[in-house]
Amino acid sequence: MKLGHLLHEAATTAARELETGYAAVLELTRDGRGLLVRAGHGLPHGVLGAVIPALADELPGYALQSGGPVVVKDFGEESRFGPTTLQRRLEIVSAMVAPIGARGRHFGVIGVHSPTRRNFSPDDANFLQALANVLGAASERARHDELVRDSEARFRELADTTPALMWMTDAEGHIVFVNQGWLRFTGHRLSEELGHGFELNAHPDDRGELLERWREAIRRREEFRHEYRLAGHDGRYRWVLAVGTPRFVEGEFVGYVGTATDIHERRTMEEALRESEASFRELADTAPAMIWTTDEHGLVTFVNEGWLRFTGTTLEEELGATWTLGVHPDDAEELQASWDAAVPERRPWEREYRLRGRDQHYRWIADRGVPRYVGGRFVGYVGTAIDIHERKTMEGRLLEVYEQEHRIAETLQRSLLPERLPQVEGLELAARYLPAGHETAIGGDWYDVLERADGRVALVVGDVVGQGLRAAATMGQLRNACRAYGLVEASPAEVVARLNRLVTSGVEEAMATVLYLVLDRETGEAVFTSAGHPPPLLVAPEGARYLEGGRSVPVGAADPAVFREGTAVLPPGSSLLLYTDGLVERRDVPLEQRLEALARIAAPPEDDLERLCDRILSGVLGDSFPADDVALLAVRPEPVPADRFDLSLPAEPGSLVVLRRRFGRFLHAAGASPAEAYEVTLTVCEAAGNAIEHAYGPRDATFDVEAAFEDGELVATVRDNGSWRERRSEHRGRGLAIIKGLMDDVKVATEHGGTVVRMRRRLAA
Amino acid sequence: MSTPTEIAVERRGGAIVAHLGGEVDMTNAGQVRDELLTSVPNDALALVIELSDCRYLDSAGIEVVFDMARRLRRRRQELRLALPASSPLMRLLDLTEVGSAAPIYETLDAALDG
Repeated sequence: MKLGHLLHEAATTAARELETGYAAVLELTRDGRGLLVRAGHGLPHGVLGAVIPALADELPGYALQSGGPVVVKDFGEESRFGPTTLQRRLEIVSAMVAPIGARGRHFGVIGVHSPTRRNFSPDDANFLQALANVLGAASERARHDELVRDSEARFRELADTTPALMWMTDAEGHIVFVNQGWLRFTGHRLSEELGHGFELNAHPDDRGELLERWREAIRRREEFRHEYRLAGHDGRYRWVLAVGTPRFVEGEFVGYVGTATDIHERRTMEEALRESEASFRELADTAPAMIWTTDEHGLVTFVNEGWLRFTGTTLEEELGATWTLGVHPDDAEELQASWDAAVPERRPWEREYRLRGRDQHYRWIADRGVPRYVGGRFVGYVGTAIDIHERKTMEGRLLEVYEQEHRIAETLQRSLLPERLPQVEGLELAARYLPAGHETAIGGDWYDVLERADGRVALVVGDVVGQGLRAAATMGQLRNACRAYGLVEASPAEVVARLNRLVTSGVEEAMATVLYLVLDRETGEAVFTSAGHPPPLLVAPEGARYLEGGRSVPVGAADPAVFREGTAVLPPGSSLLLYTDGLVERRDVPLEQRLEALARIAAPPEDDLERLCDRILSGVLGDSFPADDVALLAVRPEPVPADRFDLSLPAEPGSLVVLRRRFGRFLHAAGASPAEAYEVTLTVCEAAGNAIEHAYGPRDATFDVEAAFEDGELVATVRDNGSWRERRSEHRGRGLAIIKGLMDDVKVATEHGGTVVRMRRRLAA
Repeated sequence: MSTPTEIAVERRGGAIVAHLGGEVDMTNAGQVRDELLTSVPNDALALVIELSDCRYLDSAGIEVVFDMARRLRRRRQELRLALPASSPLMRLLDLTEVGSAAPIYETLDAALDG
């Protein structure tokens, strides 16, 4: 269901169930200073989509800070805050507003508003907060989906729609590769571009200089950088900036790799700016200048007609201490200060500032004054001012365009390098990425972590053969494909086989080594396929060893190809290291010895996974830069004590999945069967679900779960701060029935103003 | 962290088969219900929810089954469940008497035969 629908349904449900006439869902704007009316019930026309300020002294803003539902019996008696303009307009008497989402990540508020006096019960407040909790969970989900879409879109952008067109030439300067972006730009097919000189498609006027510069760059083997007009698919020319870096293979020059960036907006803006400067100079000669004079104290004694025509003021108004008259407030202070500094020393004065014109709009002017002397005696200043508004605003826009170009380049760079690791419940993760120490900082290595729907976690490390932009673009595509296949396919061999099919069916030739491993967090079972990749290193408490098995050919090497799977079980307390061959390959030392060295360096016990990564990198590479890119991914299941469980979580729906994962691992460690583990986890989560649905209040609501074994019997306790109520809506006591049906013994008690559910169950093991 | 769920829908003769995998709890039960309901066209005779890859289902998920059975019945359509007897979910389904609203079959083929 779309978030928008859900919000509307929530507003309607709230208004109907609480019988208030009005209900609204407000979303906090990005800057946190406004509240957007996202959904409502009974609201007058035109209110939906409006933004109201999020003020702490009005009800919605107050509710955001309170952390729980805020109830107003009668605004007439309310001293903590006032009504919003809209509430005043609707003559609201009673209202109730609850925050949506966790503290610090508020989505907004949901509220009900009644024009008649109402006495909302605590149960009503619970209900509203329960609705808010559901919306909180849904909005988190929507936000997460958007992030995932964003990051995947960035990679598609890289390969297909990146603003930088990519090209590669051989040593003679003939094109050997252009990317999709280039082909889209020129409207050509790949075959039409290959083998031609770099100057193909250039504007005839630019071709001569381009060729000259290009030949010169090739001769000197230097970086090539040139702006020229390139013909687009519609026959029109656009300005591009071509940048190329010479490629060397084992010291021999083999050609260039480079990009071309569309800089059309900036170039045309620059040209317009040059034109406007030229026309200004023409204008200044003929247009009546703005002229002024002062006395020796700096007081204005005269302004000419030109000045008065500009400002629309009278001569009387302008005389005297009127330096900041009509000056833009943001410029006035500095103008005054510079004037005050210049006059006593009789220095020439110059300033650009905004001055209000007769139409009340500010325009940029350049104002310049020089000291006047009569018979050697200082008598004051004479000055002239000119209108530079067009030039000034053009400069501002040009600056924006430059910044935008810079941002695009940055985004491109970032999208090529691996992103931050996800948070995975029950797993400690650490990763390192070192670009090769030479040439371009962009390589073909990648790593990735994803959570599958079956609860297992997929870990990937891959290395595309080759370097530079081309390898990076292929990496982006393979990484994306690997994510897609990894979510659908349970078997590592099948995921890698699909990657192989993708690569071998492609137009471009590519080859990659991939290690793909699926880990079960509860059991420590790992299934993996190594497509031409160095083996994963298991660092167990008793020592380090490489996981054998699952050896297969690299992706893209054969079609059809057979991919095998290896299996292993991670002993408790052990870590697993996945890496690319940049970490273990060096020409002067055999691979065997490098692998031995890596195992030796990784073996000593280390609590902190980040420190383990640092130790490995510094131990294996020393101070030298790696000759090839290095990716390192370290993973360690968090240890689970099998004898007792103790966890405190915020009372929000998102906590349920955390509780489920941790409790599942605890029960597995305690030897429970899959059916037992499911049933006991379910009952604990049902009790926790009740605590969450009824959690509200000024305190940050949390709940506690404890579990331990007494005489071979599991005793689990769920404790909260609210009072036990059966869930509203249609569950009709099903939760408690499930708890009672699946446990041997259940007791519900009220202690210290909260509810405690104690459950016992004997396990077969 | 959010609750991972997968729904794959296919048509088998007069019936719609929805393979519901992953986990269903109070955070996503409403979404799952809406997805399933929109996947059943008016001309379908029955919806079979195939649960062999479903790893977790709570009372909110059970509520979805009852609610869907009710809604489909109004549209003259039947709801059936397919789940192997060995599934850890079996005891929950027995306990909540889900079978009274949606009959449970051991295999997908048996569920399609009705």
